Amino acid sequence: MNYPVWDVSFGAGLLIALVAILHVFVSHFAVGGGLFLVVTERRARRRNDAALLAWLKKHTKFFVLVTVVFGAISGVGIWFTIGLISPTATSDLIHIFVWGWAIEWVFFFIEITAALLYLYGWDKLDAKTHEWYGWIYFINAYLSLVVINGIVAFMLTSGSWVRNHEFWRGFFNPTYFPSLAFRTAIALALAGIYALVTASVEKDAALKARLVRWSAWWTIPSLAVLPALGWWYIRRIPHDLWASARGPMPTATAYAGHAVILLAVVFVLALLTLVRPGRMHVSFSLLVLLAALGAMGSFEFVRESVRKPFVISNYLYANSLYSAAIPGDGGFSVDEVSSAGVLKSAKWIRVRTLTATNQADVGREIFRVECASCHTADAYRGLNRYIALRQWDQNKIQAMLGGLEFMHNGVMPAFAGTDAERGALAAYLTSIQPISAQAAAAATDGATVFAQNCSMCHQVKASDSLFQNLPVDPAAAGDALKDLTSLFPLMPDLKLTDQQRPALVAWLNTQRSAKGFGQAAQGGK
Amino acid sequence: MQASNLIPVLDPNPLPAPYWLLKLLLLVTFMLHIVAMNFMLGGAVLALTAKWSAQSKEHGKRVFFDVAKKLPVLLPATITLGIAPLLFLQVLYGQFFYTSSIVMAWPWFLVLVLLTVAYYGFYYVSFRSGHDSHRVGGVMLVSTLLVVLVGFAFSNNITLSQTPVRWAAKYFARPSGWNLNLTEPTLIPRFLHFMVAAIAVGGLMLVFMALANWKRDNEYARQLLQFGGKAFMYATMAQFVVGPVFLFTLPRDLRMMYMGDNPLATALLLVGIAGGIAALVVMSGALRSGNIRAAAFTVPAIIAVVIASMTVMRDLLRDAYLQPYFHPGQFTVKTQWAVLPLFLALFVAGVVLWLVMMRRYGLLGGREKVSEPAAKAVVSD
Repeated sequence: MNYPVWDVSFGAGLLIALVAILHVFVSHFAVGGGLFLVVTERRARRRNDAALLAWLKKHTKFFVLVTVVFGAISGVGIWFTIGLISPTATSDLIHIFVWGWAIEWVFFFIEITAALLYLYGWDKLDAKTHEWYGWIYFINAYLSLVVINGIVAFMLTSGSWVRNHEFWRGFFNPTYFPSLAFRTAIALALAGIYALVTASVEKDAALKARLVRWSAWWTIPSLAVLPALGWWYIRRIPHDLWASARGPMPTATAYAGHAVILLAVVFVLALLTLVRPGRMHVSFSLLVLLAALGAMGSFEFVRESVRKPFVISNYLYANSLYSAAIPGDGGFSVDEVSSAGVLKSAKWIRVRTLTATNQADVGREIFRVECASCHTADAYRGLNRYIALRQWDQNKIQAMLGGLEFMHNGVMPAFAGTDAERGALAAYLTSIQPISAQAAAAATDGATVFAQNCSMCHQVKASDSLFQNLPVDPAAAGDALKDLTSLFPLMPDLKLTDQQRPALVAWLNTQRSAKGFGQAAQGGK
Repeated sequence: MQASNLIPVLDPNPLPAPYWLLKLLLLVTFMLHIVAMNFMLGGAVLALTAKWSAQSKEHGKRVFFDVAKKLPVLLPATITLGIAPLLFLQVLYGQFFYTSSIVMAWPWFLVLVLLTVAYYGFYYVSFRSGHDSHRVGGVMLVSTLLVVLVGFAFSNNITLSQTPVRWAAKYFARPSGWNLNLTEPTLIPRFLHFMVAAIAVGGLMLVFMALANWKRDNEYARQLLQFGGKAFMYATMAQFVVGPVFLFTLPRDLRMMYMGDNPLATALLLVGIAGGIAALVVMSGALRSGNIRAAAFTVPAIIAVVIASMTVMRDLLRDAYLQPYFHPGQFTVKTQWAVLPLFLALFVAGVVLWLVMMRRYGLLGGREKVSEPAAKAVVSD
């Protein structure tokens, strides 16, 4: 609202994910691969292994072309992209951490220089000096990870910074060390995985076999420790944040699953390279690389999803609104916007008055300034699909928008704006996926009624508030469902039909018996 | 829609250092970035010129590949040295820079794609050293044009960031970000001002290459000196046309800043003009007499002063453009003493380490640490 919102037709979130995932996949290689280069060079020279040295020289070229060119540009690319998509967060982070970035820049400058001198130095320098450049490269590359990790981890767990605003509190935040350890292991694993690619085009089968086995030494142990490090990492994420990755929130749960499966696939593939190492085909090495990219991408998706609704945890929401009013926020917190209204608060909005005839147009503007940083109308995280899935008509959408912060274990911020503006947004959302009131009320079997109306916030388990609070007695439960706000004041005021209520109650009670928590809420409240 | 109502408010986090320090870092690092950019882009343009226009084909080919070999280093130098000013720009002018970037989001994003392609192109050419084919020239031309387009995107974004009155119409017409700032009268002169400067400073790079070859291969070095020196002179002379056009496309009050209204700006402009003339005179004498020292030391020293004064002039212009919306006093400052000294110490250590690295490699006057057997062992593959 403070900044204009870039309208990316296929989804701003998808663009940022694309740039970020490709970058981290290369930048972690840039770190681990640096150690791989110097250690391999030392080994080759100690053993007087000219063939290994000759391969390493070619591998250096590949390394520089991938990391210095693509890695460096895509790193700048993340900066460009977050500035375009989350300017408020970028501005916050720049002001909080400019000296961290400035320090990282010093390391980066040395790193790039050392990489180029190491590459060009193969034909020029004596062994000791050449290795010296290699070590300078690796140390500085690692230090740049040490720095940037603080800022990335801060976004996920801002820790006590939110209270004291001290640089080092933010930097060494609760997930700093597990994240650093996790990323270090990834970097080492990727060093071996990328080396497989240049090894696979090696013609000398004996050398190829040695290279593949040597790569495996980097990949397999690193992958083996990842689950433990991941567990440590997860344990340091606040429970409520991590809950969203396990709950009904589709993306985080799905990507967490993908990450685990793909990690296992990479592990198995890495083991398989050892079966006939001298005959590994280039396509196989690319398959390993691709699987690793998938695993890494899934992990980053989980991290980003778990962080939701925040872009900086406990501070700034993904839609650039502050989670609580703070001095100097310019009125851009959820509460302030809710009381003043979007049309008054937002700078980058064209229509400032809401009339009976411009509801959908105003709704579109509200959608752009408040939702478009994560959602599109009909593409990436397209709301048309959700609406079609749930069969929500305009009234239902409007009611549901009142409880966004409860959906999917709190993965979204609350709607910020007045009730009238919420109505306008509902009108717009209905225009992208029109559902009639008739269709919205059509479901009469309990399971569907639950799926369409309850499942975004409630789960079928004994501890869920629905099962805790709703009476078991069908008549009492049916009555309670007539006015949901009497069950819990923040419930959306949904109106289920006379057919839907008993069907839902009956279905809920069968679930209670089936899952064995039938007696838990006997009598209810 | 009033432009001042559209300016995003500052975020709640204070400046982590005094304004002047951040401004100083912005200007110093920008200057380094622009010199690297000039070497890279000017070098590429002159390499193509040598290839296609040199009287001796052999000579043109040699110049072409000698420069081409440097481009895969000069481009990352430009990018890396560009990161720091981009960082400090965001610290001070984020409200304007993020907004203009979003208004022209796609061209701005495409900078990344263009740079990547250009970069691989430069690598391709450098790896084909000595293979004088049409394809090599073509790839070099495409890469160079892409870099020019990147520069054009920067000129668009920087001018747009300084003219908030243009934002609303562009953004609301195309919130998808397919915008440029083509109606800005200063855009083309400003862009040309930078491009022509790149050719002049690229010429100086050839003069440095002449210096490096002076004893080893004097005939080639003299040709380089003539070619680079002339390129410098023609481009600098052209600047005496482009510069005034740029000045006269500026809004009147901003133009007058350089013509007496602001003593500092006026003095800097005079330094720039005098420096340009002095550099032309010295270079022309150096080319006539074949005086490499004058061409490779005196002229660059003068030009360094010119670039520094131009950098400050550029900054004064930005602040004058933004004067209705931006004041240094708007920031609250809370210096991060817990980390700033660490940065300064690491910065100094980094510069020292960098110099040691360069000298150990045999660059910047150091002696190469070459061991023949080691080199041979590797080359024998």
